[in-house]
Amino acid sequence: MLLTLIVLLPFLGSVCAALLPANARNAESWLSGVVTVACMALVASLYPQVADGEVVRAIIPWLPQYGLTFYLRMDGYAWLFAMLVSLMGALVVLYARYYMSPEDPVPRFFSFLLAFMGAMLGIVLSGNLIQLVVFWELTSLTSFMLIAYWYHRPDARRGARMAMTVTVAGGLCLLLGALMLGEIVGSYDLDEVLAAGNGIREHPWYTPVLVLVLLGALTKSAQFPFHFWLPHAMAAPTPVSAYLHSAAMVKAGVFLLARLWPVLAGTDEWFWIVCSAGASTLLLGAFCATFQRDMKGVLAYSTISHLGLITLLLGMNTPLALVAAVFHMMNHATFKASLFMATGIVDHETGTRDLKKLCGLRYRMPVTATVAIVAASAMAGVPLLNGFLSKEMFFEESIIAGSESGLRFTLPAVATLAGVFSVAYSVRFIHQVFFGPPAEDLPRRPQEPTRGMIVPSALLVAACLLVGILPSRTVGPLLETSMRSILGPDLPAYRLAVWHGFTVPFYMSLVALTGGVALYVLLCFRKKTMVPTPLLSRLDAKRAFDVINVAIVRGAGRLARFLFSRRLQTQLLLIVLLALGVAVLPFLVTEWTRGDMPLTPPDPLFALLWIVGAACAIGAALQAKFHRLAALIMLGGAGLVTCLTFAWFSAPDLALTQIAVEVVTIVLFLLGLRWLPRRLAFDTVDRQTLRARARRTRDAIIAVTSGIGIAALSFAALTRPRQSRLAAFFFDRSVEEAGGRNVVNVILVDFRGFDTLGEITVVGIVALIVYALLRRFRPAPESIGVPRAQRDDVLQGALPERLDDPLPRGYMKIPAVLLALALPLVRVCLFCLLLPGPR
Amino acid sequence: MSGLLHHLPVMPIVVPLLAGALMLFLSEARRAARATIALTSMVVQLAVGGALLYLASDAAPHVWSEGIGVYRIGNWPSPFGIVLVVDRLSALMVTLGASLGFCVLVYTIARWDRPGQPFHSLLQFLMMGLNGAFLTGDLFNLFVFFEVLLAASYGLVLRGTGATRVKEGLHYIVVNLVASFMFLIGVSMVYGIAGTLNMAELTGRVAALSPADRALFDVGGAILGIAFLVKAGSWPLNLWLPGTYSVALAPIAASFAMLTKVGVYAVLRVGTLMSHDQAAASLLGPALFYIGLATLVAGTIGMLSALHLARLVSHSLIVSTGIMLAALGLGIESLTPPVLFYLIVSVLTSGAFFLLTGMTERTRARDSAIATAMHDEPRETPALPYYVAFGVREPDPYGTDEEVGVAIPAAMAFLGLMFVCCVLLVTGLPPLPGFVAKFTLLSTAIGEAAAAGMTKPVWVLTAAVLATGLAGAIALTRIGMSLFWTVTERTTPRLHVLEAAPVALLVLVCLTLGAAAGPVMGYLESTARSLHDPQTYIRTVLAAEAQLAEAHGASP
Repeated sequence: MLLTLIVLLPFLGSVCAALLPANARNAESWLSGVVTVACMALVASLYPQVADGEVVRAIIPWLPQYGLTFYLRMDGYAWLFAMLVSLMGALVVLYARYYMSPEDPVPRFFSFLLAFMGAMLGIVLSGNLIQLVVFWELTSLTSFMLIAYWYHRPDARRGARMAMTVTVAGGLCLLLGALMLGEIVGSYDLDEVLAAGNGIREHPWYTPVLVLVLLGALTKSAQFPFHFWLPHAMAAPTPVSAYLHSAAMVKAGVFLLARLWPVLAGTDEWFWIVCSAGASTLLLGAFCATFQRDMKGVLAYSTISHLGLITLLLGMNTPLALVAAVFHMMNHATFKASLFMATGIVDHETGTRDLKKLCGLRYRMPVTATVAIVAASAMAGVPLLNGFLSKEMFFEESIIAGSESGLRFTLPAVATLAGVFSVAYSVRFIHQVFFGPPAEDLPRRPQEPTRGMIVPSALLVAACLLVGILPSRTVGPLLETSMRSILGPDLPAYRLAVWHGFTVPFYMSLVALTGGVALYVLLCFRKKTMVPTPLLSRLDAKRAFDVINVAIVRGAGRLARFLFSRRLQTQLLLIVLLALGVAVLPFLVTEWTRGDMPLTPPDPLFALLWIVGAACAIGAALQAKFHRLAALIMLGGAGLVTCLTFAWFSAPDLALTQIAVEVVTIVLFLLGLRWLPRRLAFDTVDRQTLRARARRTRDAIIAVTSGIGIAALSFAALTRPRQSRLAAFFFDRSVEEAGGRNVVNVILVDFRGFDTLGEITVVGIVALIVYALLRRFRPAPESIGVPRAQRDDVLQGALPERLDDPLPRGYMKIPAVLLALALPLVRVCLFCLLLPGPR
Repeated sequence: MSGLLHHLPVMPIVVPLLAGALMLFLSEARRAARATIALTSMVVQLAVGGALLYLASDAAPHVWSEGIGVYRIGNWPSPFGIVLVVDRLSALMVTLGASLGFCVLVYTIARWDRPGQPFHSLLQFLMMGLNGAFLTGDLFNLFVFFEVLLAASYGLVLRGTGATRVKEGLHYIVVNLVASFMFLIGVSMVYGIAGTLNMAELTGRVAALSPADRALFDVGGAILGIAFLVKAGSWPLNLWLPGTYSVALAPIAASFAMLTKVGVYAVLRVGTLMSHDQAAASLLGPALFYIGLATLVAGTIGMLSALHLARLVSHSLIVSTGIMLAALGLGIESLTPPVLFYLIVSVLTSGAFFLLTGMTERTRARDSAIATAMHDEPRETPALPYYVAFGVREPDPYGTDEEVGVAIPAAMAFLGLMFVCCVLLVTGLPPLPGFVAKFTLLSTAIGEAAAAGMTKPVWVLTAAVLATGLAGAIALTRIGMSLFWTVTERTTPRLHVLEAAPVALLVLVCLTLGAAAGPVMGYLESTARSLHDPQTYIRTVLAAEAQLAEAHGASP
């Protein structure tokens, strides 16, 4: 229950925050503060249980048939992260209260911040893989909203889109991975998954699952080659960067890797993929961070680099490396968030983050400078700070893992090199901003910020110091609990201590520290501190992203125009072709046979009739485009032949109906003719080009084939003996039960009267539409001229020149009078017909 | 069975027919009266749908044994007369249609029914056609109701002004007339060979056909399938769809979200009845998978290419058809419940989304710069990168964060929230039920793949479903940003509560379905069971006939 509340509370707070008025900065902060602190307290209250090695659970069934339950589960590792998330949340809320401008519409900000916190807590506490993916995507979504908080800035919009595209894509990969993992294990339940390590590693799906899960984790944690989104996500307000993009969200990827470490790790695939991604990210991030001009840029690349370090540790396949990784996750969160906050303070007070402009701030902002210097030292790995401890462990593990995997010198060298760069960018960050002569041309006169901004940062720095000096007293038990929940009761022997003696890692640290300072001095000396990143500055993710986006739109547009032709002819051709295809297909397997019924002897007169009809039909099709009147007349001819056919085979009622239909159709067509565009001459336009000729030939072939096909089908169907017992039934019952002698009529109005009702409705609807269209489509007289087809009539004087001129007297008078006379009579007749019904 | 209960199955057809006809007699000025009639009819349909759902779920076995209700029109015995059959699937579809119809109706009352054409009547006739198509147990009657709904949709699609609308509307009419023609050919072939139009009787007849007859019958079935696929909007038979749906007025496009599902319903219903026996699957058979896949891919490309929200939503409708057809085409029976869940979510979501487009379009009424830059004409693809075109300079990259955001008025906030919900639902991203649908679909498919060894089509489908979700997210983000976050001046739309409420309602229904996914899935599972084992359906439909035939034989 408590667990559910921990996840639910931020979401409820988010809804409340969204409903507050736009300028309620204090109310928002209080609300968020209360929510975050409450979450923190709830998490803290569960520590005794967790410390006993117990797993706290909360299960709500949701979709049990598919193995989807709402399952929250807190063990030591989850507790550690839940604490981190809620603690950071509380600090960031405090910081944001003073950071955000009073005019900013903060409800949106706090609402999404709380929602993010809820989602992040959901990730860490998920006991179900699918549920984890759900929260995972939610963090991507809220991060999108938070990065784009100042959505009027193009860089914020782009950064948000980039981050979302990358992380959502990764999330979908993770979903597939989770689905497959669940299929291997037979359950999405984390407990069962964690228990099935060997089964998973030996399953043929292991490699695809591993790749998919890694895709999800590495995109989220901004690992090479997916690291490019993180620097652009820095367009977000600084509290967001401090929270999402250093402390919490980007940790989700490495969190997951550590969570699934017992099941997925331990294989060569894991080692090579994870280590290479981690190592390259570590170096690349550290290298880029050294050359950034934006304070946040330095921190962003340094975050990437540190995440790379964690990934590399996770990839090393030893339990000790895992301990180091988890330890470094915590340490990095503390010092990096505090550095982000300091950056925000500098930005807030001076109006710029440009390292080129900033200088000598320690005179005006001594407290901020102190805090930032300590935090940056932790980042650089200076002894007596928490960063030193985990870095030391990292160096040690790199030696061990290097000797085990045959990368004896490579791994330690990579680690030391990254350490050198890390020291260099830390020194540069501090030296450029806080030392040197006081800057004069800053947008604003710098001064110490309000206490509310400095306190969160200072608290984090105090934590860095505490952990750095007294590791085994402070973080020791927490780390042990959390490691026990991942690795089980028998933990590897490790010692959290400041001093391990003169070991190789210590020398590596020394090399990194001196090398880093030397590198910075060298860069300063050669005036290379403000150059764009060597070698890599031409790779511009921003531009590439824009180009790819436009390329996608354009390419898809081109394809879509091809796939979704707007021409009616193409569509009709496709329908006919497909129908033809499916009609021919069965006869490739089975032979076409005609039925057994004897054929009636051919009658020359009837044959002649049909030849005329067929000629009419072909003529109509041929002339439809060029001489509409002729085509219509021939269409009428073909229709007439149909009527005669009905009459010939003694179905006079059908023939009568058909005549009525034919007449009405032709009359309507004739009425519509004058509105159609000018006709084409048969010989001039179309016949000359080869293409047109080919098209017409193709159409003719298709038409003939379809016609023959339909004829063959009906012939085959009609020559088969009647299977149906329907006819017999209708004949039997129509007189006795339906009371009608004309069976066809009885079928229409009784046996299948429902069909008739439907068809009458159709006719009624169509009449309604035609009426509405005629009323509406009558164009304003002044807006259009006389249609071309009518011009001849106008020229001959039969019609007035303009449409709104009165018609000549007596125009169509006789039909009008006749109709007026006939309509009442027709009505009476119809009524008389209606009364007796089918009889 | 009491009288009213007995006549329940025919109510969803009769009520809208009467309501639609009645409204024709009211003069144009009496908007309130017409709206009342229309609303009453819709509410009745919704209630009847709910009642049918209740009865069909076997909750009241004394009314309908085995949850299948048979209603004989004119009391003629079964293969001879026309029957309406209510089972779980049809009850579900009727309720779904009525829900969407209700929301669309409320939305239109706000202001869309002004121009005084028989809009309300046509909407009612559309409902009649839909309900009839879902309820009928007779193949030719299905054709008739297709005609009814198509005829009404012709009128609806031609509403509004503009040359494009008329052009696309006429394309729609022509294509659908051709499809109806195919339908007619198919029905006559089926009748000519099998000698019956009753869907329940058809099953037995098909099994008894000789191979030569069977081939002819398959041709009929396949041509029928083509007609259904045109309706369902599967590529390449759907070239008309994006154009027509995106130019139709928003509420009309929303009501059309149901039309494509009629095609899917028909494929499902007729397909399972015709080919449940182990004889060669008729009605397109395994080709369905490839058709669905092609539809999915084409729709995805369309989504990526779309520059207008309405067009994008139309393409997403195509994608949903593609997913459903491809999943059904795999021939895995356990995939049917997820497909049905997906269908429900898809209908409600596309409906809400189309309704939303009607409101968002108003925000850009004065936004001519963007309107032209984003206009859906091929030539005017936006210049690289967007903001350059709009005269906004890239800010100083090392500049300050000292920014003040832009407050969002409540109307925009509402639209934005609904937009985000719709995006999540359409793309199937967590945590909304669109995800539940996709998750159940994929997990079932992967489970089958694992059971049967690695089967390629399942993986292809899985990859395609996930990729289309991503593509949809990318495309919708792009459009959403240009809609809600453009810097140029924008008018805050005035929203009528009658317009806003239906969208919110549809989204809420979706959320409820997601929260109650367990029971909903339970219902859908029994639906799928009865679909794939139609013996109960057949027995119930024909048993009632046999009894009645005896009674008839004895009575005179």
